[in-house]
Amino acid sequence: MNDMTLTKEQREARLEGMGCKRKRVEDIRFTQGRGNYVDDVKLPGMLHGDFVRSPHPHARIRSINKDAALKVPGVLAVLTADDLKGVNLAWMPTLAGDVQMVLADGKVLFQNQEVAFVVATDRYAADDGVNAVEVDYEPLPVLVDPFKSMDADAPVLREDLEGKMTGAHGPRKHHNHIFEWTVGDRDLTDAAFRKAEVTIKEMISYHRTHPSPLETCQSVCSFDKIKGELTIWGTFQAPHVIRTVVALISKIPEHKIHVIAPDIGGGFGNKVGAYPGYICSAVASIVTGRPVKWVEDRIENLTSTSFARDYHMTTEIAATKEGKVTGLRVHVLADHGAFDACADPSKWPAGFFNIVTGSYDFPTAHLAVDGVYTNKAPGGVAYRCSFRVTEAAYCIERGMDILAQKLGMDPAELRLKNFVRPEQFPYQSALGWEYDSGDYHTAMRKAMETVQYEDLRKEQAAKREAFRRGETREIMGVGISFFTEIVGAGPSKNCDILGIAMFDSCEIRLHPTGAGIARVGSKSQGQGHETTWAQIIATELGIPADDIMVEEGNTDTAPYGLGTYGSRSTPVAGAAIAMAARKIRAKAQMIAAYLLEVHEGDLEFDIDGFRVKGLPERFKSMKEICWAAYNSIPPGMEPGLEAVSYYDPPNMTYPFGAYICVMDIDVDTGVYKVRRFYALDDCGTRINPMIIEGQVHGGLTEAFAIAMGQEIRYDDNGNVVTGSLMDFFLPTAVETPHWETDFTVTPSPHHPIGAKGVGESPNVGGVPAFSNAVNDAFSFLGSTHIQMPHDFWRNWQAAKTLGALG
Amino acid sequence: MDMNGSERIEAPVEVVWRALNDAEILRQCIPGCERLDKASDTEMSATVVLKIGPVKARFEGAVELSNLDPPHSYTISGEGKGGLVGFAKGGADVSLTADGPQATILTYTVKADVGGKIAQLGSRLIDSTAKKLAAEFFSVFGEKAAGHALAATDAG
Repeated sequence: MNDMTLTKEQREARLEGMGCKRKRVEDIRFTQGRGNYVDDVKLPGMLHGDFVRSPHPHARIRSINKDAALKVPGVLAVLTADDLKGVNLAWMPTLAGDVQMVLADGKVLFQNQEVAFVVATDRYAADDGVNAVEVDYEPLPVLVDPFKSMDADAPVLREDLEGKMTGAHGPRKHHNHIFEWTVGDRDLTDAAFRKAEVTIKEMISYHRTHPSPLETCQSVCSFDKIKGELTIWGTFQAPHVIRTVVALISKIPEHKIHVIAPDIGGGFGNKVGAYPGYICSAVASIVTGRPVKWVEDRIENLTSTSFARDYHMTTEIAATKEGKVTGLRVHVLADHGAFDACADPSKWPAGFFNIVTGSYDFPTAHLAVDGVYTNKAPGGVAYRCSFRVTEAAYCIERGMDILAQKLGMDPAELRLKNFVRPEQFPYQSALGWEYDSGDYHTAMRKAMETVQYEDLRKEQAAKREAFRRGETREIMGVGISFFTEIVGAGPSKNCDILGIAMFDSCEIRLHPTGAGIARVGSKSQGQGHETTWAQIIATELGIPADDIMVEEGNTDTAPYGLGTYGSRSTPVAGAAIAMAARKIRAKAQMIAAYLLEVHEGDLEFDIDGFRVKGLPERFKSMKEICWAAYNSIPPGMEPGLEAVSYYDPPNMTYPFGAYICVMDIDVDTGVYKVRRFYALDDCGTRINPMIIEGQVHGGLTEAFAIAMGQEIRYDDNGNVVTGSLMDFFLPTAVETPHWETDFTVTPSPHHPIGAKGVGESPNVGGVPAFSNAVNDAFSFLGSTHIQMPHDFWRNWQAAKTLGALG
Repeated sequence: MDMNGSERIEAPVEVVWRALNDAEILRQCIPGCERLDKASDTEMSATVVLKIGPVKARFEGAVELSNLDPPHSYTISGEGKGGLVGFAKGGADVSLTADGPQATILTYTVKADVGGKIAQLGSRLIDSTAKKLAAEFFSVFGEKAAGHALAATDAG
């Protein structure tokens, strides 16, 4: 047979399986303008919807007058909360167990809240209609500062919750309180602090920001009155969940709802939730009998669909004089905005923030999180991170640096002293997680050697002396971050969304000629699933990746999956793919045994087929087996070669990494330069190193943005003052530093291919590295903590406050 | 946002006070004012075109005079709705002090707030724009009031 003329290496290379830097197959269409996004969906007779939004952050609505709007040429309908009440959709459930207004019902609770939905023959007419709707508002006192939300005289935001002192996550302490969530042993932790030789305490804020994908949130809904079927094209990171939510709230039977997520231009968490635009475009389609498109503009995206972070973390660490940590105590004030639309697994009101012990062996810890309402946009999504993991990583990584400063110890040395040791894995953390695998010391030492850490510290010491002597106005910071993530949600024992366990799925069908299709429950938004999923199958089944088509995002064809966010695709869907492939391989082995007239147990899998052990010339390739599956199957066996797998992971995965940032800051202008950024990631088995590197580059760029300037900021009156890309920092090639990437490999012991997920690591690890670099630069002038984002102006302010300006 | 300022006007306090209560003079002084109609001695309705950074809008609103202490001081406040663009509201405490018989020192404290899209897009320009507009109002007012005094003298 022909294949035998090829070497082992050639056969392996031909598959382009795991470990291969395979070029992204989706880029063929993306780079030629042939992607198919929601806004490319154009249906006959399609209408366009646009929102009337509130200029007030908190106001009662006295009246809404649609008359003038309905006279605008092209305007067909104006929907308000009163109209939606007829179909019981004025409010909708959130993923966090709260309810949210679809259209303002009696009052508005944040600026740019959706008040009315204008439907017209084109977008321009819809905009004119929006302009013509007259809304009479009675402004109410505004609550912007979360620290004032539970004051006795704080305005009542959620009148609908009046008298309800129990929420989805237990008792509420105040009319603006959402939940309190506690984990850990309070008494043991308090005792550790009482006995501690050294303690630190700092309020570390992680400011509100926004995932801001290039493509905003959008949907096209088309209701077929004859068939009673609703088809929704949308920017959905989790299409199946959207289908179930629509079925639950619309009462349309789930099999008559078709959800299609076509190509998505970035999600980063922003496209997990359900938004008023989806509901309104669906209702408008049902009302008008025509397809209705809704496309957010940039300001709407930044100011109304889900924000991220807004965590204010009072962090305390107890330690010995020698720098061994003995306890961690964290209280978080979580600003959720006007509705708790946080996108977390249902039982986790603060996500997996209890990963806050990080990479360190804390004997005891206690965590309390209070969620509160304010007059800000709702949300709380995981912006390129697993649920609240980036907040946790920032909290502990900043905390460790502050402790090192107090001890007069090098922050790298402090980390090495407290890391969970390799032999402790699987490691049980004080806040309840079981870390699957890790080798932190090796990763940290490799990072330090690569950047020549000792030399950097010597240079820094010399520069500080020169600064004191007045010879330079530049200060230097070295920022270290050693993060441990928790991704791959998640095991059905502790993770669900609206009661649906967070498994994921894959269905593989191999065709007679040896090519095939894989349909997966995840949904790529740019991650390159069409490329990497085929690589897993190539290695598992010995079929070239080029011969496997990967399809996602159509709920009619893909098996039920929970979608893509929280770095769950590789840990969960990736496992389902491997397991489905293994089911096929088991059947292929039986067919091969029949063809080769041997017992199954006499065969071994060898790259791209089965071989009789000890008889290398007796071989059946997978291509031959595929053909045989459709014509010469063993007696009693069903024809065909396909399998479905639903994978319920036994545990999360715990990727980790060591990042080091070297930064120079001019104190007189606040201008910083990132001199060097080194990122070592350990995501277990590496499927496609090129894609990993691309993910790390993208994630670091977003981390850079967040740490150094990106912010959703409100003024005291509740106006969003960073509502456009003029003020909201999205770095371009001009600002973005050069990234150095590196890796170690510590496979996950419980994952079928040992992979852990990587898409979000650079955001989780990057933010503390940047912030620690800035804080490290200023520390010798007497500061312990400077809040993010560290833009030029704030750096200059810090220098001024510290008396460093001439 | 708050700002303060003062103008020396070549006119007696009584004349300046009359000008402060004259809708036509106020119309000429309010930057971008297209219309100012008197509804009563203390209430007016107005149309003002306001431009902050990239946003320009026509605001329809009401102007009210309060805390009247003739001829020494009053508060002038206004509130306008600019439709999709948002809203603006502001006020000024104005007081007059004689600087000799023929001149008046007018001092003002202005408070201004904007909301909606105009605040979202023009946030970094609001303070400087508001300062510029307030200064423009009071300097034009100074000229008009002085001119008024001159005209009154000529007529006399």
